[in-house]
Amino acid sequence: METIAKIEEAQAGTAPERLAYSIQEAADMLGVNYFSVYRLIQRNKLKVCRALRGKLLVPRSELLKLLATE
Amino acid sequence: MNHYKRPTPLEETANAEAMTAFAEHMSQFKGVCDVLREIERNLSAIGNDAFKAALLSPGRVIQTNEGTQWQHDLDLTKITSICHRRTADGVEFAIVECLPLKSGEMKDVLNSGHSVREVLKSFLRDQRQVLNLWKEDVKAQVREHLAEKYPGHDMDIVAESFEIKLARAISETQAVTQSHSHGMRI
Repeated sequence: METIAKIEEAQAGTAPERLAYSIQEAADMLGVNYFSVYRLIQRNKLKVCRALRGKLLVPRSELLKLLATE
Repeated sequence: MNHYKRPTPLEETANAEAMTAFAEHMSQFKGVCDVLREIERNLSAIGNDAFKAALLSPGRVIQTNEGTQWQHDLDLTKITSICHRRTADGVEFAIVECLPLKSGEMKDVLNSGHSVREVLKSFLRDQRQVLNLWKEDVKAQVREHLAEKYPGHDMDIVAESFEIKLARAISETQAVTQSHSHGMRI
């Protein structure tokens, strides 16, 4: 799948490796709007971590899990 | 902006710049609030229509990812529908989300119960919680953005102005409920 390929490309070293993505980036990768991403987080379907100032970040592993299982 | 302290020219500039940077968030947030306000305003009518649809037509079957089957009654938003199924305890209603992920559709029950009106109310309550999560995240993102753009300046007033705008939008989705609490009981 194109999105998984994009994440795996980053893992392979052709692009800088990312451990986590912003909500905007996650929405883009999943192909949904921002609200849907926050809804997945609220329902614990997507686990997140917080940056220093409290900003939510979606770990790459969580995105891969969601993209692979659906 | 804060009503008690006049913003400095730098804060005004930062606010305008942040409004541009977060325009997409603000626009999507407003769009969701508008949809929720409309559901809130028409809660009784939507409930009645869903109840009638459940009585009259079998509706197409939606199978969730967990395997439960529901019959579609009506669309609530672009990606959520009111559905029902018959159980030993009577008719059960649910809000089913069909989330179009790039990898495929994710179908999930968001809220369910035997009173369609109560299901709708729970749905709205949960969506407001999601809006609050979103609001807090935007505030944190704005703080981070401003700290990078204006290092050494206290831009709390700008971040707070975002929070106030978003909190107001959330409360406006709710205001209709309080003045609209009567209607046909289903």
